[in-house]
Amino acid sequence: MLKRLVLILGAEALLLVVLAAIPMTVNNSFVLGLLTLLAIYGILLIGLDITVGYLGQINLAQAAFLGLGAYTAAIAVTRFGCGLPTALIAATAVGCLFGGALSFPALRLEGPQFALSTLSFMALTTTALNEWESLTGGAQGLQVPRPPLFGIVLEAKGFYWLCLILLVFVWIAMRNLLSSQWGRAFEALRDSPIATDAMGIGTLRNKAAAFTLGSGLGGLAGGLYAFNFQYLQPQVFVYDLMVILLLGVVLGGRKSLWGAFVGAAIIVLLPNLLSNRLLFQVFSGAGFLLALAAGVRGLSRKSTRPFQAVAPVVAMGMLVVGGIFTTNTEDWRKAIFALMLFAVMVGLPEGLMGFAASFLTRLFRIAPPPLPELAVLDTVLVKKETDGRPLLELQELNHHFGGVRAVDGVTLTVGSGRIHGLIGPNGSGKSTLVNVISGLYTPTSGEILMQGKPLVKGSLFKVAQRGISRTFQNLQLFSELTALDNVMVAMKEIYRSPLPLVLLGLTRGSERRAQADSLALLEMVGLMGESRVPAKDLPYGAQRFLEIARALARRPDLLILDEPAAGLAQPDITRLLEIIRRVHERGITIILIEHHMAVVSELCDIVTVLDYGKVIAEGKPDEVKRHPKVIEAYLGGTVEPADQKNCGEGNVVPAPA
Amino acid sequence: MNESVVAQMVVSGALMGLVYALIAYGFQLTFAASKSINFGQGELVMVSAFICLTLTDLGLPYGIMVPLGLLSGSLLGLFVERAGVRLALEQKSEGWILLTIIIGLLFFSASENIWGRDDRPFPTPIPSDAIHLFGISVTPVEISVAAGVFLIMGMIELFKRKTLLGKAFEAVSADRDAAELMGISATRTVKLSYALSGMVAALAGILVAPITTVGPTMASALVLKAFSVAVVAGLDSGFGVVVIGLFLGALESLTSYYVGSGWREAPGLILLILALAVRPTGVFGKAVIRKV
Amino acid sequence: MKKALIMTLLLGMVVTQAFAADVIKVAITGPFTGGSAPMGASMRDGAKLAIAEINAAGGINIGGKMMKFEVTERDDEAKNERGALIAQELASMKELSGIIGSVNTGVVLAGDKHFQEKGITKIITPAAGSASMTQWSKAGVKDLSIFRFAAHDGIQAAMVVEEAINRKLFKVAIFHDSTNYGVSGRDDMLNQIKKQGNQLQVVATEQFNIGDKDMTAQLLRAKNTGAQAILIWGIGPELAAIANGMAKIGIKAPLIGGWPLSMSNFLDNAAKNGNGTLMPQTFIEEPITPKAKAFIQGFHKAYKVSRIPSPVSAAQGYDAVYIFAAAVKQAQSTDTRKIKEALEDLKEPVKGVIATWQKPFSTWDPANEDSHEAFRRDQVVMGMVKDGHVVFANDADRQRLIKSATAVKGQKAK
Repeated sequence: MLKRLVLILGAEALLLVVLAAIPMTVNNSFVLGLLTLLAIYGILLIGLDITVGYLGQINLAQAAFLGLGAYTAAIAVTRFGCGLPTALIAATAVGCLFGGALSFPALRLEGPQFALSTLSFMALTTTALNEWESLTGGAQGLQVPRPPLFGIVLEAKGFYWLCLILLVFVWIAMRNLLSSQWGRAFEALRDSPIATDAMGIGTLRNKAAAFTLGSGLGGLAGGLYAFNFQYLQPQVFVYDLMVILLLGVVLGGRKSLWGAFVGAAIIVLLPNLLSNRLLFQVFSGAGFLLALAAGVRGLSRKSTRPFQAVAPVVAMGMLVVGGIFTTNTEDWRKAIFALMLFAVMVGLPEGLMGFAASFLTRLFRIAPPPLPELAVLDTVLVKKETDGRPLLELQELNHHFGGVRAVDGVTLTVGSGRIHGLIGPNGSGKSTLVNVISGLYTPTSGEILMQGKPLVKGSLFKVAQRGISRTFQNLQLFSELTALDNVMVAMKEIYRSPLPLVLLGLTRGSERRAQADSLALLEMVGLMGESRVPAKDLPYGAQRFLEIARALARRPDLLILDEPAAGLAQPDITRLLEIIRRVHERGITIILIEHHMAVVSELCDIVTVLDYGKVIAEGKPDEVKRHPKVIEAYLGGTVEPADQKNCGEGNVVPAPA
Repeated sequence: MNESVVAQMVVSGALMGLVYALIAYGFQLTFAASKSINFGQGELVMVSAFICLTLTDLGLPYGIMVPLGLLSGSLLGLFVERAGVRLALEQKSEGWILLTIIIGLLFFSASENIWGRDDRPFPTPIPSDAIHLFGISVTPVEISVAAGVFLIMGMIELFKRKTLLGKAFEAVSADRDAAELMGISATRTVKLSYALSGMVAALAGILVAPITTVGPTMASALVLKAFSVAVVAGLDSGFGVVVIGLFLGALESLTSYYVGSGWREAPGLILLILALAVRPTGVFGKAVIRKV
Repeated sequence: MKKALIMTLLLGMVVTQAFAADVIKVAITGPFTGGSAPMGASMRDGAKLAIAEINAAGGINIGGKMMKFEVTERDDEAKNERGALIAQELASMKELSGIIGSVNTGVVLAGDKHFQEKGITKIITPAAGSASMTQWSKAGVKDLSIFRFAAHDGIQAAMVVEEAINRKLFKVAIFHDSTNYGVSGRDDMLNQIKKQGNQLQVVATEQFNIGDKDMTAQLLRAKNTGAQAILIWGIGPELAAIANGMAKIGIKAPLIGGWPLSMSNFLDNAAKNGNGTLMPQTFIEEPITPKAKAFIQGFHKAYKVSRIPSPVSAAQGYDAVYIFAAAVKQAQSTDTRKIKEALEDLKEPVKGVIATWQKPFSTWDPANEDSHEAFRRDQVVMGMVKDGHVVFANDADRQRLIKSATAVKGQKAK
C-alpha cells in the first residue's frame, strides 16, 4: 500500500517539481513557451481523453472547443473588460455549454456517426468564427491583452506557473472522477450502452456529462491558449489540429492522465525534434528496433496476428529510411505523425503509457489497492415479503415488426415471489416479449402494469428505475471492466455521489461500501475469487453468473433471466439452479426464459408457453409439458393420444414420423 | 430577385452537388459490405487526380489516362482496405475510423512532397468555354460531371442488383460469419467494395479537377459535404445520394448568394447534425432493429 | 519518461547552438508551403542565390577575417502559431545576426514582437501588409530593429486606382479576401479613390475566403451592377478562381490588383483567362539590364526552372541580402545591434537587381514609417499578364529602367 503511494504519487510530485523549477534554472524564452504550451495541451488532451479513452468514441470537435474557449476569453477581456479569472471561467462555461448542446444530437449515435457529427460541429465552428467578423474579427484575427491576475501582472514565467497550477487541479479532479462511479459509468457506456441503460444508468445523461466535461476542459485550455499567444485567428482551430490532438491521445495512451500528458509533450516537442535531423534518426531507429522486437516476439508466441506484428515494423522502417534519404524532415511532418500513430495503433494499442504502466507495475511489483470486507448478503439483498399478488400484468400486448407479429395479444400475470417460466419454440417471441417489458422495444399496443401502476414503455432506463432488472440472451457485459467493476457500475444509483464531492475526492466512504456490497453479490454467485479479472477473460459460465450478480446489484423487485443456461455445461447448470433458488429465497420475483426443460421443471412455479407470439398454454410445468398444443408447437404436426403416454418426465421425446 | 440569377445559382450548385453525391456513393459502397467507410476518401480523390496529372505530363492522351487513373484509384482503395480496415473488421472493432484518418494523412503529406503544395490546372479535352442555355451559363466540364456521375452509378447499381457478387455484398454486411459459412469470402467481398470505392473516388477526382484545380487540399472541403449527403440520404440508399446531392449543392449555392459566401458550408453542416440527431439512418435509409 | 523529455530539451538546445567563430548567422523564414508558397519559396531562393554569390566570392571581410554566411531556414506555412513559435525559437538562438523574410501579415503580427524585444534585426521581405510596420508606430516605440523591404501597400493601391482612371474604367467593383491583407488592401484602395478625386464609382464590394474555389455568387452580383473593372486584393489560387469564374459567366472587365497576381499559381491556373490582368511589380522578369539578366539566368540555372515562380519575391530576397551584407560590412561586426545601426545609415550605394539603393533606411521615427521602408514610387512599375508571363504593361517604364540602369538612382523624398 505504502509502496503504491510512494511510487505513483511520488512520481507525479517529482514531475510537478521539475516542471515548476525549469524556468528558474533555464533562462530561455523558447523553452518556457514550449512548457506553457505543454501545460495547456495537457489540459486539452485530458478533456479529449474522456471521450476518446473512457467513452471510446472518436471526438473530432475538441479543437472547436479550444477555439470557442479562446475567443470567449478574448472577447470577455476586450469587449467586457473582464479580469483573468472571470475570462477563464467564462471560457470553461462556454465550452460546457456548447458541449452540452452538441451532445443532444450526438447522444444517440455511435461510432462513425458520432465522429461525423463532431466533425460537422468542428467545421461549423470554424465557419462561424470566420464569418462573424463583428464579434471575432474574422480572418483578420483578434489581439488579446493579458490582464493581471489579482493585481499581479503575469509575465511569461508567471503565466506558465498559472497554467501549471491549473493543470494540477484538473489532474487531481479528473483522477478522482475517473476512478469513481462516474468513470466506471463512462466505461460501461463504451462497452455496452444497452446494458448501461438496463442497469438504471442513464446512457444519455452520462454521455452528455462526459462530453460536457471534456468540452469544458477544452474551453479552459482555449482561454489559456488565448492569453498565451495573445493573437487569435479562426483558421488555427481546424481539422488538421484535431488530428494532431487525436494523435497525442492515442500515442500517449488512452484512459490515462499520464498518457494525456505524454501525448501533449509529444505534440509540443515533436516539431522541434523533427527539425533536428540527428535526433530524428536516433528516435526513428529506436522505434524501429522496438517494433521489430515486439513483432518478432508476437509472431513467435503467436499472440498477435501477422499483420499486427509486421505493419508497425514496416511503418517504422519507412521512418528510418525517410530520415536517411529526405533532405528536409520538416516537410514530411504530417507523414511522420501518421506513420508513428499507425505503428502505435496497430502494434501498441494501449499507447506508450499504457504499455509503460503495465511494464512498470510488473517491474516494481505494485499490488492493486486492497479490497474491503464483504458485506453481509442480507443487508445487500434485503429479504422481501411476498404474497403471490400480481406484480407484473400484461394486457393484450402486441409488438409487430412490419408484417411479423412477434408478440400477438399476450395477456399474462406474474405473481410476486414466484418463479414464472416462459418457454416456446424458437421464434415464438419470448425474447421479444421480454425486450418489450424491459423497455428495449416500444410495444405496438397493449398495457403493462407493475404493482398495479402503468409501466413506462420503450425506455430501458425508466423501466430499470421501477425495480425491474434483467440479463441478456447474448451477453451484454462490460467486457473491459473487472468482474467487481461490472457489479459496482450497477450500484451507481444506489450510492449516489454528488459531482463536486467526487471531484474533491471526498466520496471514498460510499465507494468502499459499494465495493463491500458488490463483493457480497460476487460471493453469492461464486465469483469472489475472480473479482479483479476483466469480464472478457472469464470463462463462459462465470460470465453468465456475473450478469446475474450485476442485475441483482440494483436490488430489483423483478428479475428477468433470458436463457441463463444457454451453452452451460452440467456442473454450471447445477450452480445456476442454486443461485436462482437463493435469489428466490429473498423474495425477488423471477421471469425465466429457458429452453432447458429440466431447469424449467426444477424451478418454475408456473409456466407460460408462447408460439408465434401467442400464449398457447399456461400452468404448472408438468401440466404444460403434456399439453397437446405445446407438443405440437415443438414438434409440428398433431400428436395421437396414444403417443402422449410416451411423453413422461424429462424432455419431450420426438416420435418417429 | 432576378430569376435568371437564381436559376444560374441553382444549376451551378446542383451540378457541383453531383460531385458530393459521387463521393458519397463511394462511402455507400464500402458501408454496404462492411459497415465501414474511409474517412480519408478525400485524399484518395486527390491522389488519383495527381496521378492522372502525372500520367498526362508523361504524354499519355486523355483516353488512356482515364482508365489508368481509375485503376490507380482501385489500387489505392485496396491499400486502404488492407492497411486500415481489415484488421479492425477482424477484431470487430471500430479502429478503422482512426486508421483511415491516419492513412489519409499519410497520403496528404506524401502528395505535398511528391507533387508540391501548389494548386495546378488539370488538363481536359472537354472545352471550358461556357454554353448559354435559357439564360444560364454552364460549361461542358460541368455537364461532363453530371454525365460521369450517372454513368458510373448506373453501372455499379446494375452490377449490384443483377449479379451474384452484388448479393454477396449484402450478405457480408448483414452477417459476416454466416456469409463465410455459406462460402462467401468476406475478405474478398470487402476488398472488392474498397476497390470500387477507390475507383469511384478517382472518377470524382478526374471530373472535378478541371473545375477546382489539383492540389493537396482539393478534396478536403468536398469530403465533408459528401459526408453530409451520405448521412442525410442514408448509407444504403443508392440513388438517394443523387437527390440529396443535387439538393445540397443548390442550397449551398443559394446560401452563398443570399447570405454570404463564407456561410455556404453552413447548411450542409447543420443538415448533417440535424439528420444525425433526428434520423441517423437517413431520409431514404431503412431503420435498424436492435437485437439482444 | 520525464527524464527523456529533459534530455531531449537539453540536447536540442545544445545542438542548435552552432560553433560561433567564423560565420555570419542569418535566418530565412517565410511560407515555403501553402497558398503563399511561391512568394516565400522564391524569396528564399533569391536570397540564397545572393548568399551563395557572396560566399563564393569569399564572404565578407570583418576585421581582417573572411566570414561567410550560414543560413537557417524556417517554414512558417503562413500560419500564425507556427510564426510565433519560430520567432521564439530564432529569438533564442545565440549570435543570430539577422532575419530575412515573411510574407503574411498575421505571421508578422504574431511573431515579430519577439525580435523587437531582443533587438534582433529583421528585414521583412517580400511582403507583409502595412500593419506589420504600423503596429510599431502605433505603439510609439522609439527604437526599432524591424525593417521593411517591399512595396508599400499604399503605393500599390495608388497605382491600381491610377491605372483604372487612365484606362477610363470608371465603374469598378472591389473584391478582396477576408484576411488582414485583403481588408487593409480594400481600405487602401478606398482611400486612394478619395485622394485621386473620387473619379471612380465603386458599384460593388465583395469578399471571399482563402480556399474558396467558387466565386460565382460574388461575380454575378458584380456583373449585375455593370462593373467595368474589378479591383482585386488577394493571393494566387483564389485570384485564379475569380479569373476563371469571370470567363465562365462572361464578364469582360479586366482585373487590376495587388502584386500577387504575378504569382505562378495565378498564371498557371487562370491560363488564358488571366491575359490582360494588371498589377504593380517591383521587378519584371525581363533581361533588360545586365544585372537583371545575370540574376535571371543565375536563378534559372541554380533552381532548374525556366520561369521564376514569383519574380518580385526572388528579386527582393536577393537585393535584401545584398543590403544586409553591406550593413554587415559597414558595421564590421556580426552583432545584430551594430548591423541595425549600419542599416539605418548605409554609406555606400548597393547595386541591386531592382535598383541601386542609396541609403534605403534612416533612423526610426515613429511618426514616419517610411524611415524603415525602402521602397518609393519610382521602384514600382505596372505589369501585365501575357500568355503565362508578366511583362511591362507600359513600355515607357521599360525604357526608363533601361536608361536608369547606368545612372545612380533611388533618391529618397523625406
